[in-house]
This record gives sequence, C-alpha cells and structure tokens, in this order.
Amino acid sequence: MNCQSATENVFCELIADRQEDPIELAMLHSPVVRDLRRCLGSRNVLSAPSELEVYDCDGFTLQRHRPDAVVFPRDAAQVAQIVKACQRHAVSVVPRGAGTSLAGGCLPVGGGVVVMLTRMNRIVEIQVRDRMAVVEAGVANIRLNRALAGTGYHFAPDPSSQGASTIGGNVATNAGGPHTLKYGVTVNHVLGLEAVLGDGSIVQLGPVEDPAGLDLIGVLVGGEGTLAIVTKAWVRLTPDPQDYRTLRAVFNTLDDATRTVSRIIAAGIIPAAMELMDQAIISAIEEAFHFGFPLDAGAILIIEVDGPVAGLERQTEQIVEFCRGSGAREVLHAATPEERALLWKCRKSAAGALGRLSPSYFTQDGVVPRTRLPEIIRHILAIGKKYDVRIVNVAHAGDGNVHPVMLVDERDPQQVERAKAAGRELLEECIRCGGSITAEHGIGVEKIELMDRLFAEEDLRAMARVRQAFDPTGRLNPGKVLPPMYNLVAGLK
Amino acid sequence: MITTRESLPLIETVAPADQAAVAEVVRTARDQEKAIYPIGGGSALDYGVCPGVPGVGLSLKNLKRVVDHAVDDMTITVEAGVTMAQLSELLAAQRQRLPVDAVRPGQATIGGVVATGAFGPRRYACGTIRDYVLGLRAVDGQGSAFSAGGRVVKNAAGYDLCRLLVGSLGTLAVITQVTLMVRPQPETSAFLVADLLDFDQAERLLDGLVRTKTLPVAVELLTRRAQQGNPVLGPMVQQSAARLFVGFEGTAGEVEWMVDRLRDQWRELGIAAPIAVAASDAPALWQWLRESDGSAAEVQINVRPGATARLIENLVELDGACSIRAHAGNGVIRLGLPPREPEDFVMFLRGRLRPAVVAARGKMVVRSYPDDVELTAEDVWGPPGDGAAVMRAIKDRFDPDGILNRGRFVF
Ligand SMILES: Cc1cc2nc3c(=O)[nH]c(=O)nc-3n(C[C@H](O)[C@H](O)[C@H](O)COP(=O)(O)OP(=O)(O)OC[C@H]3O[C@@H](n4cnc5c(N)ncnc54)[C@H](O)[C@@H]3O)c2cc1C
Repeated sequence: MNCQSATENVFCELIADRQEDPIELAMLHSPVVRDLRRCLGSRNVLSAPSELEVYDCDGFTLQRHRPDAVVFPRDAAQVAQIVKACQRHAVSVVPRGAGTSLAGGCLPVGGGVVVMLTRMNRIVEIQVRDRMAVVEAGVANIRLNRALAGTGYHFAPDPSSQGASTIGGNVATNAGGPHTLKYGVTVNHVLGLEAVLGDGSIVQLGPVEDPAGLDLIGVLVGGEGTLAIVTKAWVRLTPDPQDYRTLRAVFNTLDDATRTVSRIIAAGIIPAAMELMDQAIISAIEEAFHFGFPLDAGAILIIEVDGPVAGLERQTEQIVEFCRGSGAREVLHAATPEERALLWKCRKSAAGALGRLSPSYFTQDGVVPRTRLPEIIRHILAIGKKYDVRIVNVAHAGDGNVHPVMLVDERDPQQVERAKAAGRELLEECIRCGGSITAEHGIGVEKIELMDRLFAEEDLRAMARVRQAFDPTGRLNPGKVLPPMYNLVAGLK
Repeated sequence: MITTRESLPLIETVAPADQAAVAEVVRTARDQEKAIYPIGGGSALDYGVCPGVPGVGLSLKNLKRVVDHAVDDMTITVEAGVTMAQLSELLAAQRQRLPVDAVRPGQATIGGVVATGAFGPRRYACGTIRDYVLGLRAVDGQGSAFSAGGRVVKNAAGYDLCRLLVGSLGTLAVITQVTLMVRPQPETSAFLVADLLDFDQAERLLDGLVRTKTLPVAVELLTRRAQQGNPVLGPMVQQSAARLFVGFEGTAGEVEWMVDRLRDQWRELGIAAPIAVAASDAPALWQWLRESDGSAAEVQINVRPGATARLIENLVELDGACSIRAHAGNGVIRLGLPPREPEDFVMFLRGRLRPAVVAARGKMVVRSYPDDVELTAEDVWGPPGDGAAVMRAIKDRFDPDGILNRGRFVF
C-alpha cells in the first residue's frame, strides 16, 4: 500500500507538471468527466476551460491551478458517487464551500475535481430544546444565524466571512471569529457530522455526545478537506446573551492598545470579544462606512462584554479603567443596538474595505501567547519596513491572534515575492514567541512550508498517520496541510 | 465498592522519571511483546473492558513537574502525573481554575483525566477536558515521542492530535505532558434546587431552563436513591421522584439575579418552594455532585437532552434499586446499578438496559463493573459505529503491535 501511494504521488506530480497543457489534461481526465456526468447529469458538471477558470483559486489568490472539472452534488449519496468515480480514475477530489479560504485550501493542486457543496444548503432542523441545529454543509453561516433569529439562540462561530462562508467550510477550517474569545471556535460547537470518506463511504458521527471510541469529530474539524468531505453538521446552539455592552477605545499608538489587551486578560477578565484595528484599517473603514472613527487614531479596540445585565456594568467599568490606565484617549459606548450592529459590520468588513488601499492583499493568521501581543505587533511593523511592504493590522486581539494584511499589487512580481517573504518571517516570529502559524485560517497550501518549523518530524509523522487512516490513497485535497514528504513516510514507519 | 474491580492484570509496575524513560519502557515492552497499562492516579482503572492479558503497569506518578504556569496568558503546562487537586491548588493561588470536574481529584492525575475525557456537572457551561487541552506530549506504541498542539488558545495548524488523544484511554499513546487553557475563578456560586413530583415535571423544568436568560453552569437531575449523603440538603419531600440542582457561578450580583429569575420561573411552573443553596454551602454541594456514588456498577448513557427525563423514568422502572445522577442539560445519565449475580447482570445489561437506551436513540458505555462479571467489548462500549474502521486504522498506525491498554477499549 505504501509503495502504491508513493507511485500515486509521483503520478500527481506528473500531472502537475503537465498543468500547462490543457489538451493533454483533458485527455487524461475525460473518462472521469464522463463518469461524473453519468452520476450527476451534465448540468451539474463543469469541464469547459472557460467555466473552470473561476475555480482556479479561492480567497488566497497568489497561486492558481485550474481544476479538471467542477461538480455540484445535491446530497451525500452524490458526493459518495463522486468520490468513488474519482477513485476509479485516480483523480483527486477537492471539497469547496464558499471559497473564502485565505490559505488556498480549495486550490486544486495538480488538477482534480472540485466538489462544490453550495447546493447542499438545506437547514434541516432547528431544535431549541436540544440546543442543536442540523444543517447541510453548504449552508452559509449567516443563513443559519438568520434562521435562528427569534429563537433566543445563535451559532456562535462568527468569522468575518460569515456572510458567505459555509458551515462545511467553517468546520473544515475550525473557523473562529471575534466572539471566539468567550465562546470558543467551531470545534466547540459541533455535535455531529455526516461525512464522505476517501473510499466513498458515508459515515455519521454523533450527534449524541461522547464518542464510545476515538473523537473522530474532533479530528475532522479543522481537517481542511483532507480527511473527509463533510456533508452535514449537527451544531450546538448558544443562548443569546441578555444584553451587551460594546465599547470602542481609541488609542494614540498601537502599542498602547496591545498592552491594554494583555493587561485585561492578565487581570482575569475575558470579554466576549476584543478586536484591534490599526490606523490604516480605520481609515479604510471610515471611507467605506462613515461610522465616525477618528482618522488620527493609532489604533482602536472594540471590546464587548455580554451576559446578564446584572454583571455588565461592573465588567464594563473595569475594562474602561484598564483602557484609560493604558493611555486610551477616549472610550465610547455603542448607545443603541443599531450602533452596535454597525460597529460590528465595520469590523467584519475591514478586509473588504482594504480594496480601497491596494489592488490586492493577502491576510496572515499568526497567533502568540496573549501577553506577547505588543511584541509581535512591533515585530510585524518592523518586518514591513524591512521588506518594504505595506502591512496593516486587524487582530482578534484577546486570543493573541493577529491578522497582518499585506497590501500588494499582484502585477508586480517582485513586490509579491517581498510580501511573501515578509509573511514567512512574521510567522516565524510567531513561532519564536511560542505561538503558531495559524489560529483559524488553516495551513492550506499557503503555510505548508512552515509546518516543519512549527512541528518536529515525529509530530508531523503522527499527523500523517491520521491522514492515512482516513484516506489511504491520499486523493482527498492533496497538497494541503502536510509537507509532501509526510504523505510518503507515514506508512513506512 | 468492594466488588468493584480496582486492579489490572499487572506483572509488574514501573514508574519512570521522565518522558525519555517512558519511551524506553514502551520500547522494551514492545520488543518483549508485552502489554502496557498506563496508570495515572489509579482512580479509573476499572474503566473499560477488564483486560485479560497480563502486562506491565506504567505509572506516570513520577512525572509531576509543573513545566510552566503562564499566569498572565492563562495557560499552564504540567506533566501527566500531577493530580487534579495539586493543579487546582496551584491555579487557585492565582485565582484561576480548570473548570472540569474530575472524580476523586486527590487521586486522579491530569494525564488520566485527559485519557478518559473527563467531565462533570460544570459540563453544561464549561464543556469537558477536551475543550481545555491546548497541547500535549506523548509516547506512541512504538516508543516514539511526539508533541501535538501548542500553548496558544487558538491553533489551526495541522490535525488536532490533542482531540484525538483525549478520551482515547491511553490506547494510542502514553500522555506525558499537557498544556491547558485555564479560566479565572468565579467570584461566587449558588444553587437553586427543586424536588420534583414526577419526570414530566422534570422535563417541564428542563425545558424552561433552555428558555431562560439565566446561564446555569450545571443542570443536575438526581433520582430519589441518588440523594444519599447529600452534605447540604435533607431528605426529599415525600412522594417526589427526583431532585433538580441548577448551579450558577459569577459575580455576586449576577448569581443573585439568576437565582431570583429562575425561582420566578419555577414558581410559574408549579414549584411552590424552590430551595436556594447559598455561597457558603455551595462548594460542598459541587463536590458531592461531582463524585460517583459507589454503586456496584456504573453505566454512562448519552441521549439527546430533550429525551433525558423520559429515559430516566424508564430506567427507574427497569430497576427500582438503581440510582441516577444525570448531567441533564447535556443528556448525560450516570446510572448506578446495585449488586447482582454475574449472569443476571449480563442479562440485564444485554436484554433490558441496552434495548431501552437504543429505543431512546441513545448510546451507552459501561464505565465500571464488578470483577466477577465478564463483559465483551461490545457490552462495554456498544456496537461498533460508523467510524469503527477509521478508528481501527488509526490504532494500527499509532500502536501497530496493540500493546497499549490491550483489550480495554473499542479495539
Ligand atoms: C473577508 C474574509 C474574512 C475572513 N474572516 C475570517 C475569520 O474571522 N475567521 C476565520 O476563521 N476565517 C476567516 N476567513 C477565512 C474563511 O472565510 C474561513 O476559513 C471559512 O471557514 C471558509 O469557509 P468556506 O465555506 O469559504 O470554505 P472554503 O474556502 O470553500 O474551503 C476552506 C477549506 O475547507 C475545505 N472544505 C470546504 N467545505 C468543506 C466540506 N464540506 N467538507 C470538507 N472540507 C471542506 C476546503 O477544501 C478548504 O480546504 C475570512 C475570509 C475572508 C475572505
């Protein structure tokens, strides 16, 4: 089996080498397309080069690969058929939700069939008594939350991309968001999964809690589509808090803001969210939304506490005190629910607003122990100078999760290279601070080269065993998460 | 208690001093084709199938260093042999805690708690140990050491091997070190308690809890027979079938508001005199609720929360002498069974209990059973589910010779 997967890997590389030659590719893969058409009907299979172009990248645009086909299944049985067909023809399978991955998780490395889960978008059931909702993988996060409005419950993971990103994608990347600080990331909210494995079998794990055996759900969440294709999820619902207090604290310098964050956490106060935006982001947002942010501020923290009203005033006072004590020049309250909503909209649209600053950008996702936040932000600024790359900062600051955004013009290859180098260096800096190279976006293709900086060989080998156990042929989303050599050595050990 | 199995078939027990020595023990055992039974504090050795194959006890008791308490980051790294009581004490000195209740904290080690996937009453709001493990180090069945995760509170780099090892009962690797996320200690806590006439009333109150704006930390439903030894409250009102304990934590203001608010709701639902347990008595109650009641056998049943009260009612009908403590908010039922003849026990388990649980679309695991009873892996863990083949494949890759806790788990 090991030799087999070794040869298959070589085969994949071969295909990758021939990427340039579409006719040859078409010849290589047309049988699978025929097979897929039979399974799904022609309308649900795209294979013309012009149609495929849209799927040659996701939210990470610095690498592109055209898939051999794109398919639109309607249910788990069809996904299973697709996987089996791909296995028969030795073609890789790349699951894709909304394609908002910032790590190139949906990139069809070396070609392959992209499986679009977006037509599997039924909200199957909302069960308030059991604090649970059942949704198909392609349901957009926001749709679930809209459907929950009025029930007194919500789905807590709130990535800034929630307007588009799917529950399947959130599960596959273990997505977080501003409120992760208090409520945890996606894995803390998944009770059950239905998934199609690499051999085309359909499994249901959960939703009744506590596995009798290994916690496969815990492993599948964050598996980035390399372990299984998630087709349905049973998610935990979180009670809406009785009330909120949402503050924005304005600082003259980034340093003052980051030190405030570290101090609040160190004091044992864990707000619901604590988000950082620097001056460049503030200006871009201001231009887009006219919220009224001061343009000369060095940084703004959005801090929210929630829960029973009885506890909110005191928490708010404590936080205001910390902000003032660390040099906040003003601390303002969102006076109405509308103002709060707009504030969050501004924060969550930060990335979109950046279009005003630069033709393109890519976002990093480093994380450090929370007390190291001031230090890492200082390093990031220095790295930007060193590489002559404009870097602006948003951060899920309370978690120590920084999102330095590198502004680039993709038409300038040198600039892109400098930005990539800067990105690498700042993630290495995160590792040096005791952190990690991704808190929520995943490894994808983007950070794969850094995996062996973060982990020792034995650690990666242990991960490779997990991947092999789920998908011995390695056809599910190849070229992601683990450096290529680990797909070979795992089984040999 | 006397009939409960407390030992494993050990040829000898070794207690290495560090991870390198643990790896050496595993490699030697593998070379000699001997089974290995990792041992923490020995508080859950009766968990799982009683293994038949004699082997080497691998005690982690000498791995007890506190590697790093990053107080201001709210994380702590300790070796596997540190007990839960020691950990609590350390954290308490900084007004922090790990909000996962473990049975017998003076004995239970963090390694064991992670390996068994422990949880307790606070699960309703705080989750299980799974939700707190940020990183760990372990030695696999071939004696190779590896690390997983890290020490940041959010980490999406690679597969989550921490979650894989939590609850794997030491069958994939011997855990030697753990990094945990910790939380600030709440200022105070209190309970509101109701005696319930029947299980319909229990369900009405549980349903009400789902709809309140209060934020319970624990929702514990105990049957009549499970009330023994309650350190705070006297016997239940005559004729009542069960007692519901709802625990709150937070600032004094929050706790008071939540208790008042729930009391109002309960009055509307027909509970004439809810009993409030104040801050001074609450710690004793938390402790009592956490412990197991020493029944001859304990079975854990998981069911969807809305089916909990009904299933408990059925279980009481099946065996009037059973005692039940349920984390009812999560649909977790801990069923204590009285002593029985071994054959009767097996018949009851297979013929009555499992069918009742299956009918409620639940799952069940026998957590402990008497020495003289012989159960199969399927009796203890239930029929293999959809994930069985993948689990087997993972096991084969982490412990190809099958030496770690041979015969205790699902594979
Ligand atoms: C503007 C913007 C803001 C963002 N903000 C955040 C944020 O705050 N927090 C955060 O965590 N992320 C954020 N992201 C990243 C991204 O949105 C998340 O990773 C999201 O979870 C991806 O969902 P998706 O449906 O777009 O998945 P895709 O991008 O389609 O896929 C992501 C990965 O998951 C796999 N995958 C997708 N669906 C499935 C499935 N059903 N089964 C198996 N594998 C699957 C893919 O193969 C790929 O590897 C942001 C992205 C953008 C563009």
